[in-house]
Amino acid sequence: MDAKANPETEPNPAGAHPSPEDATAAIKALASKMGGDVCGIAHVRDWDEFVPEGYRPDDILPGCESVVVIGARGPTAGAWRCPDNRIMEVNGYDFANDRAVHVVADFIERTYGFYAMQAPSLPTGGHQPPFSMMLAAVLAGLGTRSFAANIVLNPKFGLLYYSAAFTTLPLSYDGRLEQNVCPHKMCVATYRAVGKTPCMAACDADDGGCLDGTIDANGEIESVYYDRERCSTRSMQFGINSFQNALNEMIAEDDDDTRRMMINSDFVSRSCGAMGYFKDSVAQCFECMRVCPIGREERKLK
Amino acid sequence: MSAPAAEPAEPTAADFKRQLIDLALKSGALTAGVADAAAFTAAPEGHRPTDLLPKAKAVFVVGGAQPRAADWQSPMSSFMEASSTADRINALGLRMANHIERQFGYYALMVPAGIDRGGQPFVSVALAAELAGCGTKSIAGPVLHPEHGFMYYSALITTLNLPVDGPLDEPACPAPQCVEMWEAEGTTPCLATCPIDQGGCLGGRIEDGKIAETRYDRARCTTRAQTYWAPGFQKALGAALDEKDAAKRQMIINSSGFTRTLWSMTYSSVSQSQCFECMRVCPVGHERRELR
Repeated sequence: MDAKANPETEPNPAGAHPSPEDATAAIKALASKMGGDVCGIAHVRDWDEFVPEGYRPDDILPGCESVVVIGARGPTAGAWRCPDNRIMEVNGYDFANDRAVHVVADFIERTYGFYAMQAPSLPTGGHQPPFSMMLAAVLAGLGTRSFAANIVLNPKFGLLYYSAAFTTLPLSYDGRLEQNVCPHKMCVATYRAVGKTPCMAACDADDGGCLDGTIDANGEIESVYYDRERCSTRSMQFGINSFQNALNEMIAEDDDDTRRMMINSDFVSRSCGAMGYFKDSVAQCFECMRVCPIGREERKLK
Repeated sequence: MSAPAAEPAEPTAADFKRQLIDLALKSGALTAGVADAAAFTAAPEGHRPTDLLPKAKAVFVVGGAQPRAADWQSPMSSFMEASSTADRINALGLRMANHIERQFGYYALMVPAGIDRGGQPFVSVALAAELAGCGTKSIAGPVLHPEHGFMYYSALITTLNLPVDGPLDEPACPAPQCVEMWEAEGTTPCLATCPIDQGGCLGGRIEDGKIAETRYDRARCTTRAQTYWAPGFQKALGAALDEKDAAKRQMIINSSGFTRTLWSMTYSSVSQSQCFECMRVCPVGHERRELR
């Protein structure tokens, strides 16, 4: 082996040119091995219908052909069982999807010699992400949007966390799901009986909550209402946003002793911990997902 | 015609435990053990395994991710301040929890390494490590493994019934050398390096070769052992906001100390210690730090 470079870790411009089917099979197998629960692939042109120019995958990676999307479960089933909701506040996310997508991107560059990169998820200007992982998951056939805060639900697992990779490698494409995942049959029946689905009932917009919507005669989503601001203040109590709120209050406090008490409170300690622990995503309310029947059987264990 | 193949036998609790320990050790743990979920009577109500996971049977503990032998050798004390964290063992704890759920079909909840309200842990991982036989509390505070000494621990609570190891019969601390030193000088290496009556954090007493009393100034230790992480950031922020002079305030905010607090918080998610002096002199596991 060349003492200066490890061929296993070097991009390989002369890499094998695989058939789209073979490369797709290899990528999906690797995603699964690295902790992804689902993996789907969308064609770059699928974005044209939904996203303005400047925000499409080939605006970020010129020549992009394919978008590989990987989803992973966050909390363990045991965490969902915990009667202390604060456990989910700090135990919800393990970055398995991020890890898997990095490995897949490395694999594409090193094995096939095509460009591959992790799709950006953090806002780079304003509060909008440069690329929507939710849309990517829908276009890759991994799920559809739901009544519950528009969260994309996978038909098998329900709530998943998603990451994506862009690549110039042509692959086989999954296409969107033919059937909407939400609403579940049980939710349609509940809606017909009481006018609310379980998620709406858990966080009713008419009762100070975040969610509302209607189901049409065919049992499909007709309209969705989601109060994003209200949800943010409830579901992100210990992350960057809450720290910014707390910082405003601390700066505005004139009394030195009171300010020190605020700074050294366990609330600020937990905010600092959340910023470090979750880095880019922290949710502290899972109540609309706790009552969702989709994927519930995957959370039933012994 | 051949006889029908016999149904594979259901794995026993001992089989599950063996598989888990094999996986933990293969994944980098130095030790692993099982505590009875009902044994946490020393913990306050609300902070016991069954409070977090109904019908919990066992608590599986993994230990490892200790500083490397070379880390201890480095004359640059600030190296350990920036490199030793609990993150690796926590990642392994979560992996083990996922394994129990996905391979065995039982609930598993990783005990969050962060703090709950009031700065209290959800469940004491140190107590879990003791009850799982992974080590015993030392006069310096950390749970010490009898062979490896200081390490980080992670714990998960599960409904899977596993054979319990229970606490160790013999405490890892004090080591024979420390008992000798106590008898000769009335102190131990850790107590001598940070004596509570001389501005340090540690005090205690040994009787009949056993720990008879420990004294630990937690507040003082925190201000010394977490100078860059979240507590360090809070302290620096307090100093910045207390400062009335705008130029001095900007200097505090743009200082390297303030920058390091921010780096430290994002580098290490749940714990980053910056003082290892009581553990540096500890003889438990010391021979494993001696390499070429």
